[in-house]
Amino acid sequence: MRVNLNQWKTSLAVLFVASLCVAQSPTEFLTKDVRRAGEKLACLCGACKNTVGTCQMLGCHYAAPAREKIAQLQKAGMNDDQVAGFFSKREGLKAFAVPPAEGFNRMSWLMPPIAIAMGLMGIAWWIKRSRRPVLKAELPAGPAGTTDRLRAELDKEMAKFE
Amino acid sequence: MENFGGLCLILAFCLGVYSILASVIGSWKQKPFLLVSAQRAVYSVWVLVTTASGLLIYALMTDDFRLQYVWGHSNKAMATIYKFTAWWGGQEGSLLFWSFILSTYTAVVVFTTRKKHEYRTMMPWITSVLMITLVFFLMLVAFVEHPFKILAIGRAATPMDDGRGLDPLLQYWTMVIHPPFLYLGYVGFVVPFAFAMGSLITKQPGDGWIHTTRRWALVTWAFQSTGILLGAGWAYAVLGWGGYWGWDPVENASLLPWITSTSFLHSVMMQEKKGMMKVWNMVLVSATFFLCILGTFLTRSGIVSSVHAFAQSSLGNYFVVFLAVGIGATTWLILNRLPYLKSETQLESVLSRESSFLFNNLILLASCFAILWGTLFPVISEAVTGEKITVDAPYFNRVNIPIGLFLLFLTGVGPLIAWRRSSGDALKRAFLMPTIGAVIFMSVLVSLGIHHVYAVISFGLCFFVTATIGSEFWKGSRSIAAKDHVNLLRGAIELTHRNTRRYGGYIVHMGIVVMFIGFTGSAFNLDRTVEVAPGSAFKIGRYDLKVAEMKSGENENYVWNHALVEVRINGEYVGTMTPEMRKYAVSGSQTSNVFIRRRLNEDLYLNFAGLTSDSKVILQSYVFPLVSWIWVGYWVLLIGTLICLIPSKIKLQYAKMEVVGIARQPQPVEN
Repeated sequence: MRVNLNQWKTSLAVLFVASLCVAQSPTEFLTKDVRRAGEKLACLCGACKNTVGTCQMLGCHYAAPAREKIAQLQKAGMNDDQVAGFFSKREGLKAFAVPPAEGFNRMSWLMPPIAIAMGLMGIAWWIKRSRRPVLKAELPAGPAGTTDRLRAELDKEMAKFE
Repeated sequence: MENFGGLCLILAFCLGVYSILASVIGSWKQKPFLLVSAQRAVYSVWVLVTTASGLLIYALMTDDFRLQYVWGHSNKAMATIYKFTAWWGGQEGSLLFWSFILSTYTAVVVFTTRKKHEYRTMMPWITSVLMITLVFFLMLVAFVEHPFKILAIGRAATPMDDGRGLDPLLQYWTMVIHPPFLYLGYVGFVVPFAFAMGSLITKQPGDGWIHTTRRWALVTWAFQSTGILLGAGWAYAVLGWGGYWGWDPVENASLLPWITSTSFLHSVMMQEKKGMMKVWNMVLVSATFFLCILGTFLTRSGIVSSVHAFAQSSLGNYFVVFLAVGIGATTWLILNRLPYLKSETQLESVLSRESSFLFNNLILLASCFAILWGTLFPVISEAVTGEKITVDAPYFNRVNIPIGLFLLFLTGVGPLIAWRRSSGDALKRAFLMPTIGAVIFMSVLVSLGIHHVYAVISFGLCFFVTATIGSEFWKGSRSIAAKDHVNLLRGAIELTHRNTRRYGGYIVHMGIVVMFIGFTGSAFNLDRTVEVAPGSAFKIGRYDLKVAEMKSGENENYVWNHALVEVRINGEYVGTMTPEMRKYAVSGSQTSNVFIRRRLNEDLYLNFAGLTSDSKVILQSYVFPLVSWIWVGYWVLLIGTLICLIPSKIKLQYAKMEVVGIARQPQPVEN
């Protein structure tokens, strides 16, 4: 019986140690909520082009305290936009990871599509200009459908021709 | 030694100026002896710049800490190879390195074209343009950022016991070859530009310069691609967060000329085969050159904040003047020579390879513009509104991902459309099956639970392009195999050898596809940063990681700590990873030596980021799906590029439709 009790004691000790190990489970550095809100904010450490949510520099002098602040603000009930608003009040517009679509900064978003549109217009103009009608010889008409058939064959051959 | 080094640079500058004057006057006044003298001056400049470089390398190797540059970028504990790489590790040395490569290129160009009659009139001007660029850099290195400055108190040289050393992050093997490749690319683009300008100045109507410089541009492009990929590989393996591209201004600066040169390599085919787009090619080759100079300016002026940039200096103003004068002169020259740049043929159909090249160029340049715009926008915005803003990675991703996907689509479409004109039937034949295949593939991905829209589109397009390229190889190889009674592989090799440019190009496109698969994998990245005590475990993705032990030690260069992390998948042991943290003795800086378990499906990436006060390990763990495909894609791209450089077995003749006249309406011709 004494032996059994000792076994019980040993088992309990093992369980206790195991529970300590479970209690020492890894500490997380970033929660999902903080990351989501942080992804709207630029990391202003000067060493990376990441966001507060994605900066991987451990102990980054900007991202680490910013994350703590985000967690505090979220605890106080702020949503992501309100958190971003808080940082923009504190740091100015540079707090945002992307230029805000307002005022002159709207140009940052508008210029690439404008450039593409202008390029398309340029191509259309060039194609129109390059396809001016050129002198053509009028061939005597053959039997009905001959030209179409020849054209189709020619297209087929040209497709093979590099 | 330092005086001799300085003297070499000043003499090289003076001889460079002489070479320009002798070339121009010799060409203008038709004085052959001046032209020959100018060529010899080019060789002399190379000897002098090489001597100065050799002296700086000798000083670095022998720990001559009297020199400020050696003291600032090397130390006794550094491995010999890193002492050598310190040559380009700082502002002054890297400018000397730039000058060395350009003087070498110039000497090679002058030497290899010395007996080519077709370049007799152009060559003095080509030499002048090359030497103007070289003289600009020699001016900077000889008079502004001098690499042979002596550390002195008053008038007495003050040797130091040891140097500050190269940044530990730069003491990595890819950093030994990344800058040289990037510089070989950057500087190499000066040569096609010089040929283009030579052609414009001498009013050459032909395409001779295109034939010569296409090969040069291709080699340079390969160097640039290699440099960019090595940089990405370094960032991935060294910085500790697994990022290979961060949209940093300096990274962007290396990408911009790569994009325009890619565009040039495509549109140059239009000029070679159809005599079209001559003005456009001039614009592209010039844009590539000036973007190289702009990139150098961004890296060295401190105008945009970047972790890669050299220290702020007064160099910016010199670059602004050079760029302004250069762009102004080039624009004037192109406009003035427009009559010599008229197309020889007309576009016959919108549904043609020619049109697809136009769209390819448009999309490439749109991407280039978006990156340049994003890079410079903080400066522009601050100048206009007075308030600084940030343009970070999310902006570049948001703007460039759709553009990149469209480009990927064109990669599959363009090569399959016939030159001159294509019919609806031909397009249907070429694209129906790949399109159906891609749609089915995307449906399968969605049904498997992949709902990331861009990722699904990207994988679908990768399938589409692979199918179109594969069908081209399949049809051609099968035809040759049947005709020559050889197996399919021999047929494919023969097919590629018959037209190396075309099929090498397809392989390059395939490399791009493989790289896109790797880029797309980033949509599924996982990361987890944890504090763990030895003996504890945690999970990321399908991996169970247990910190089994922690070890520490030191050598003369640094103190190290590393963790032994056991990796299990579904309870089965698959290996031990040993990420390491180092603290360097001289600089006191701390770096991480990450451990990467590389597999084709995904990389497991561990970074020993730090130790807590209670001796817990701070581990950053990542799973990067498909990232290895980027590096595999690079090798495919490089093999394709090398194939493009092999002469084709069969010399193809391309039909050109000549313009015989222009009329408002079709005119009958008398029989």
